Amino acid sequence: MRRLKLILPFAAAALALAVAAAASARPERTASPATSTKISCKAPMKIGFATPVTGGAGFLGTEQVSWAKYAVKTLAPRLGLKVTLVVGDTPVEQGPAVAQSVAQKFIADPKVVGIIGPSTSGAVAASSAAYFKAGLAHISPSATRTSLTQGGQKEATPAFFRVVPGDYIQGPSDANFMVTKLHVKKVVVMDFQEPYSLGLADAVERTLKAKGVSVTRLSAPNTTTDYSSYVTRVPGDADVVFFPTQKPGDAQTFARQLVEQGKKAKVFGGDGSNNPAQFNTPGAYVSNFAPDITGIAADKALVAGWKKDNPGKAVGSFGPPTYGAVQVLLNAIKLACNQGHGSLPNRRAVVRNVKRVRIPNWILGGTFRWSTKSNDPLNAKFYIFQIQSNGSYKLVG
Amino acid sequence: MDKFVALTVDGLTLGSVYALIALGYTLVYGVLKLLNFAHGDVFMVGSYIGFGTLNLLGGATDLAVPLWSALVLITLAAMAGCALLGVVIERFAYRPLRDAPRIAPLISALGVSFFLAYSMQLLFGAQYRDYNLFAVPGNPLFLKGFHIGTVNVSLVRIVIVASAFLLMVVLWYLVNKTRTGKAMRATSFDREAAAMMGIDIDRVIVFTFVLGSALAGAAGVLFAIRVPTQVSLGFIAGLKGFTAAVIGGIGSVPGAMVGGLILGFAESYSAGYIDTIHIGGFRIWPEASGTRWTDLVIFVLLIAFMIFRPQGLLGRPDIKKV
Amino acid sequence: MSDSTPEYPPGPDAPVTAPAIGHDEWVARHVERRLPPRLGVYEQRLRQVPWWLWLMLAVGVACLLPVFTSSGYWRRVGFETVIYALLALGLNVVVGWGGLLDLGYVAFFGVGAYGYALLDSPHYGIHMWALVSIPIMVVVGALVGFLLGLPSRRLSGDYLAIVTLFFLQLFQTLATNGDQFLFGAGNVTGGANGLLNVDPIDFFGHEIAVSTSSGEFAIAYYFIALGIFLLVFVALRFVNESRVGRAWRAQREDPLAAEVMGMPVSWLKLLSFAFGAAVAALSGTVFAALNASVFPLTFYFVTLITVYTMVILGGQGSQFGVVLGAAIIWPLLELLRSPDDARVIFYLLLGLGLLLGLRLSWKLPAVAAALIGLGFAAHAVAGAIRDSWTAGSAGGWASGWVIVPEHLASWIPPVAYIGLIGAALGLTLVRGWARLVLVVPVLYLAAFVWENVMLAKPEPTRYIVIGLVLVSLMIVRPNGLLGERRVEIV
Repeated sequence: MRRLKLILPFAAAALALAVAAAASARPERTASPATSTKISCKAPMKIGFATPVTGGAGFLGTEQVSWAKYAVKTLAPRLGLKVTLVVGDTPVEQGPAVAQSVAQKFIADPKVVGIIGPSTSGAVAASSAAYFKAGLAHISPSATRTSLTQGGQKEATPAFFRVVPGDYIQGPSDANFMVTKLHVKKVVVMDFQEPYSLGLADAVERTLKAKGVSVTRLSAPNTTTDYSSYVTRVPGDADVVFFPTQKPGDAQTFARQLVEQGKKAKVFGGDGSNNPAQFNTPGAYVSNFAPDITGIAADKALVAGWKKDNPGKAVGSFGPPTYGAVQVLLNAIKLACNQGHGSLPNRRAVVRNVKRVRIPNWILGGTFRWSTKSNDPLNAKFYIFQIQSNGSYKLVG
Repeated sequence: MDKFVALTVDGLTLGSVYALIALGYTLVYGVLKLLNFAHGDVFMVGSYIGFGTLNLLGGATDLAVPLWSALVLITLAAMAGCALLGVVIERFAYRPLRDAPRIAPLISALGVSFFLAYSMQLLFGAQYRDYNLFAVPGNPLFLKGFHIGTVNVSLVRIVIVASAFLLMVVLWYLVNKTRTGKAMRATSFDREAAAMMGIDIDRVIVFTFVLGSALAGAAGVLFAIRVPTQVSLGFIAGLKGFTAAVIGGIGSVPGAMVGGLILGFAESYSAGYIDTIHIGGFRIWPEASGTRWTDLVIFVLLIAFMIFRPQGLLGRPDIKKV
Repeated sequence: MSDSTPEYPPGPDAPVTAPAIGHDEWVARHVERRLPPRLGVYEQRLRQVPWWLWLMLAVGVACLLPVFTSSGYWRRVGFETVIYALLALGLNVVVGWGGLLDLGYVAFFGVGAYGYALLDSPHYGIHMWALVSIPIMVVVGALVGFLLGLPSRRLSGDYLAIVTLFFLQLFQTLATNGDQFLFGAGNVTGGANGLLNVDPIDFFGHEIAVSTSSGEFAIAYYFIALGIFLLVFVALRFVNESRVGRAWRAQREDPLAAEVMGMPVSWLKLLSFAFGAAVAALSGTVFAALNASVFPLTFYFVTLITVYTMVILGGQGSQFGVVLGAAIIWPLLELLRSPDDARVIFYLLLGLGLLLGLRLSWKLPAVAAALIGLGFAAHAVAGAIRDSWTAGSAGGWASGWVIVPEHLASWIPPVAYIGLIGAALGLTLVRGWARLVLVVPVLYLAAFVWENVMLAKPEPTRYIVIGLVLVSLMIVRPNGLLGERRVEIV
């Protein structure tokens, strides 16, 4: 009897909560303050940046953030905008779920008018829907997973853009290079049981098999550090091991263990293994979506300026595309401001203007244009480097 | 056949390192009945200390002392540093909980493990730290060695296995032939009785931690001379280390050695062989994915052990007196 | 020699020195820390308020969250706090009431989330009503918990911890590699990519959107979570006050005696596993529905340690305690993401620590004044020696007090950090005057390290704080905030 008397108030409370839930579930006709505010283009604005600054992929995020800060510092005043960069850390060890929290933080801030990133493909898949609903354009400088913008079930929304080509270009282009320039007969393709490598490995395997190359497929857990046992499975007559890791240190280990066990195969890394400091075994190959911009004459002043702000740091390959992404976003904001005669009606105006941006002196060389078919750059290509005996990367394809 | 030999060599190399880590777990468990979750992170710190010392000596390309002296020096430095770390952890995180319910030091160990791993990440970043011994002029460690058939057994593997073996022999001697070792064994049988016999329990426990952590530090260096180290290594290494200790029989020193080797072999053979298993034409294992399930194999093995033979291979069954 | 036989039982003003006869030393040491008389009376009075009144109060205040903040981000943090409170309640059943160290707990959280995702997403094309799939997953969760408990019945504390930890690892491996299952089952868990486009919760077919038309968190889910929390809390409370609960208490205090008394100890262990798993699976379903996705790494070690910290901080065995623990830890973790908020938290905790440590004696203002004075003095001296030593951009509003160099030489962070740890540990070894005097520079060093080293990288800092909280809790106050003092009579 006592139990029943106690249950009644709780049942009533639960019912009240259910009613509250149902009541608040009615679609809100009025948009929330964050998305509907008119933003004056003379007022200070913010750009969010979702990237892994700490954790295993931290080297990627720190490099990208340094270039993004530099871009905001130099480009925003030229366009007449007052912009600050806000960074949201999305360490890869915690999975894509962190990106959703970071997205919520940016969405809730009414001053944020655009997003750079997310930098990792998993994070894009997790948070694109939220950004789309909030009307925030998110331009990624490094998320290359094919299924984000291509194919039947795109994982990203129309508000997602990327300034680098996807793996659907990287895979076949790497495979083609292997066949045409390296004349491979036998290739080992590895994956690391996570999204990035799986996509790339599948694409490369497919292209190679179509060209009649014999392919052995190996798969290692992402946490592997000692690859000896996998090296023993590499056939002695294999020419190349395609190693799409996101940890350059692993590529280095694998290349050395190949030498240690006397195998003649060379390591071919994807864009994730780009890091001359950590991966510098001579003879190996690396593919990347950016050439070495220190070789581009038009970028000399830019590079000098960045080096002044970041003493002692080397120009990497993930930074310049980030500069480009910021440039595109800032230009889109400027175009939207012009359209709105000095103010942005809402954030969605920026999304609508992203694809109108065209950049003649693109930091990665040539002119930057959007493809008409998808939110990818037009005619972008991957570049292939070979590591020289002194550890430097030389462009070969 | 060559593949088998190569994989056996792999297994031996891996297993020696796991055995050293497992020994640390087993020693502490025997004396304190505590699973020191922080042990794997001590191993990781050891590899970092080795890295730092190597750089102090000039780095792989510019060594101020001959290669062999450098290797000995960094191992000693790592052992000393980890021993100190182990003592500090014991003194501040475990000693106050000596008489607490068993759950308390376990949870404290979890907290210490977390704290160590993320402190290292804060201070040194999460990127790989490479000893870069490949770049030593002449590259003796990786290119020299001997051949079994067409399989290269590089010098570095010989160094690892030999050093681990040497350390295990030293440990065996310390535990079985010295007075302090005898005190340790007595404490692990029955702590109260040992105390009543006049053994200084605190000293014995500190000695145990010194031994165990020093071994972990050495293991850290031996691991890192082949493969780059990074902060998340601690968790995985810890997990594998105490799998090895449990399989061999936790509380038993020879058990830890055996367990470590078994685990090393299990890992290398499953990574090397589990490819496509056919039974009567029906493909049991999907192609190329056998290596994915290596972890699964090991864990199922462990759980089976725990259920059917919790005392491991060489351990004593835990009989509780009422 | 005076007759020093202590009286038994010790009277109220008997000196508490050595363990009294009949008391366990561990208990005695903690019984020493009693509250001063005035606060003790208030504590007594508060304990007399019936639990359901506290619950209504807590839920009532929680319902007011949307009034206090209109930010989608903070409302979402509130939702996640409720989910973690649910998880903490479930873990409390296993650890607090059953006395079993279950290190695989978040695997059940994952089972619930993945199960819901499989039943309510385009992956298999099934779109069950949430009112059907959620109870199914609760039952499945209980079953899985039961199955995990089966081989673990006869294992003692440490072995149980290992087996459950490996179960967690197993779940992680299965989830990450589950896009290539055997026998043609193919892609089950979506592998490392996870499952996307999971359906929101629906009420008899009418979907409740997870976000508003502008992409922000839909407050409906907060109320759903609160409602579920209320039901689970009450249900677990009733279970605990029934025969099962009493049997759990007996089995926890002394499993051997309970078994000798004829209690089905194995069955009780299995029950606590099952209940805990069921609650975790339930929270998993709502979590998956809101995030519209599931990823394997969410259900791994970091989440496990976070939930454990909440349970330990709040007090194992006390439902209100673990909920309080969740309410403290989760928002704290979120606040620590941004350096500005983290700064405030640091100084707040510093003040709180001083208050708790020194009570309201004269020592408190003395130490505080010395600390502030030392800070300004050191800052002035450093600034005088070299301008760049105090010109840094870290420090926010405290940059006039803490030394914030512009460029930190690379040896400074490790040396300062390790020095701080050493100093703090050394501080626990000294007593009396020495401790009071030394605490001032150590606290200043801590502020220096916090501003310059830890706030530069908020992510590892969050987890360092968790690790520290766990260790210090177990040493200083293992019963947490509201837990009962545990006795293990050997």
